[in-house]
Amino acid sequence: MDPASDTLVPKIVVKNFSAFYGSVQALHNVDFAICERKITAMIGPSGCGKSTFLRSLNRMNDFVPGFRVEGSVTLDGQELYAPSVNPVLIRQRVGMVFQKPNPFQMSIFENVAYGLRIQGVKSRSVLSDIVEKSLRAAALWDEVKDRLNGGAFSLSGGQQQRLCIARALAVEPEVILLDEPASALDPISTARIEELMQDLKDRYTIAIVTHNMQQAARVSDRTAFFLDGTLVEVNETTKIFTNPEDSRTEDYITGRFG
Amino acid sequence: MAETVRPEKGLSPFRKVRNLLLGSLTAIAFVLAVTPLLAIIYVAYDRGKSALSLSFITSLPAGFPVGIEGGILNGIVGSLILVVIASLFSVPIGIWAGLYLWDQSHTRMAKTTRLFSDLLLGVPSVIWGVVGFYVFSTNTGYGFHWGFSGLAAGLTLGFIMVPIVTRVTEQALHDVPMSYIEGALALGASRFQMVRGLAIPAAITGIGTGILLGVLNVLGQTAPLVFTNYYNTGIPHSLVGSNGSVGDLAMQIFIYIHEPSKELHVKAMAAALVLTVIVLLLDMGIRLLAWGSRKYAQKNG
Repeated sequence: MDPASDTLVPKIVVKNFSAFYGSVQALHNVDFAICERKITAMIGPSGCGKSTFLRSLNRMNDFVPGFRVEGSVTLDGQELYAPSVNPVLIRQRVGMVFQKPNPFQMSIFENVAYGLRIQGVKSRSVLSDIVEKSLRAAALWDEVKDRLNGGAFSLSGGQQQRLCIARALAVEPEVILLDEPASALDPISTARIEELMQDLKDRYTIAIVTHNMQQAARVSDRTAFFLDGTLVEVNETTKIFTNPEDSRTEDYITGRFG
Repeated sequence: MAETVRPEKGLSPFRKVRNLLLGSLTAIAFVLAVTPLLAIIYVAYDRGKSALSLSFITSLPAGFPVGIEGGILNGIVGSLILVVIASLFSVPIGIWAGLYLWDQSHTRMAKTTRLFSDLLLGVPSVIWGVVGFYVFSTNTGYGFHWGFSGLAAGLTLGFIMVPIVTRVTEQALHDVPMSYIEGALALGASRFQMVRGLAIPAAITGIGTGILLGVLNVLGQTAPLVFTNYYNTGIPHSLVGSNGSVGDLAMQIFIYIHEPSKELHVKAMAAALVLTVIVLLLDMGIRLLAWGSRKYAQKNG
């Protein structure tokens, strides 16, 4: 299924996966692997199920009434939807950044420290260290180091989004899911987020949902194309954008629909 | 200097007239809405001003008929006691119930609870009073046999307050943006950590408003007190039993107005002004507190 799979280490493996909102089926039998230390982009028109898919990878859809899944999702071989699995622990390993920046109504410092505090970390020096490290990793440190105790809402939209990334990094996840992280940002902020993703890819496995095909082409190593709840094609990004196997993929990336 | 732009200058005559008409309607609606408040304050002040003095709020009723001399300290203290008892009972239950309804909002149990809670909101206070009498006050049959007492009245008022606090708490929690909640959960917060650390702090202004609404409602209740407490011209030493009644401002006004005494009518109106001012101060105090804490949170987190 995967021409380059010998060089890729699968981190999250999805097999015959279907998702339902009540009686509506949002995903149909998806087979897919997200590989370690790669950026995987998911593209497709609105309503194609790519966000549902992304949110299924850290069980964020658990709170949607009527949501249920069939099939298998494994993280390092561990079944995510097994009854014995605590979704809270999964979300500590698989972090998520959302479309709209959603900092908490706290100081910049406390925003980044939140994930550690809920894990019971109390030591001020440990917190300070990790907050600084995370803010540096999110390329925000220089802009906020003098006002860590200032409110998070005093930051610009792009800064807020990088703060949310720093917040996600602070709990040291293995995988970071990005749900259209730049769609609410201006081009300069978007560029910074994209640079940041390249920096992060050495240490993290990243999956990004995007509406912006140029963005997918720029940032990702592998791209998956979703349409009407099915996975049409997944391959190396260069292949998808230059020589797709499926005619529907070609129609979409050349702008014939969507 | 830049020229002031007046958008209405270029309007067609028809739009100018319509603009004026709708503008005036808004102004009239505003005046109609504030007139009752001003009328209450004016009438109460005008009729009660001769009784107003500092000692009016610092001394107990005296003379014959009782109240013709002295003040309304018994009512102020009693109202305070009732509000405290009612709040101690209703605030934890109401917040807990509101949390439950928010968290489980789609379950059948929650829908049933919400329906019952809303029905309770519509129960006339006189019925609360009668039921409170049978449950708390009466000395025969089932119930607590507390007599006419502050505890019986406070708890009855507490029961009236519960659905108000519940309803507003649930609403305030629903107003917390989903993105905020998901942000916490995506970091590996448990549901409980998210509620305690984020949802409740974010909803605290709304919850405070709910408690305030409940308190203001309780402050103005008279009918439940008729059956569970009645009235006391002094300060009670106990909250249950035969000497357990407390004074109450609303009851005091009700009783004074029924006395065939011009002096007591004046005192009643002065007490009405005091009660209105207490209500307004509470309202403004809470608003100021909410505004201040929001400012503080935005600045410092």
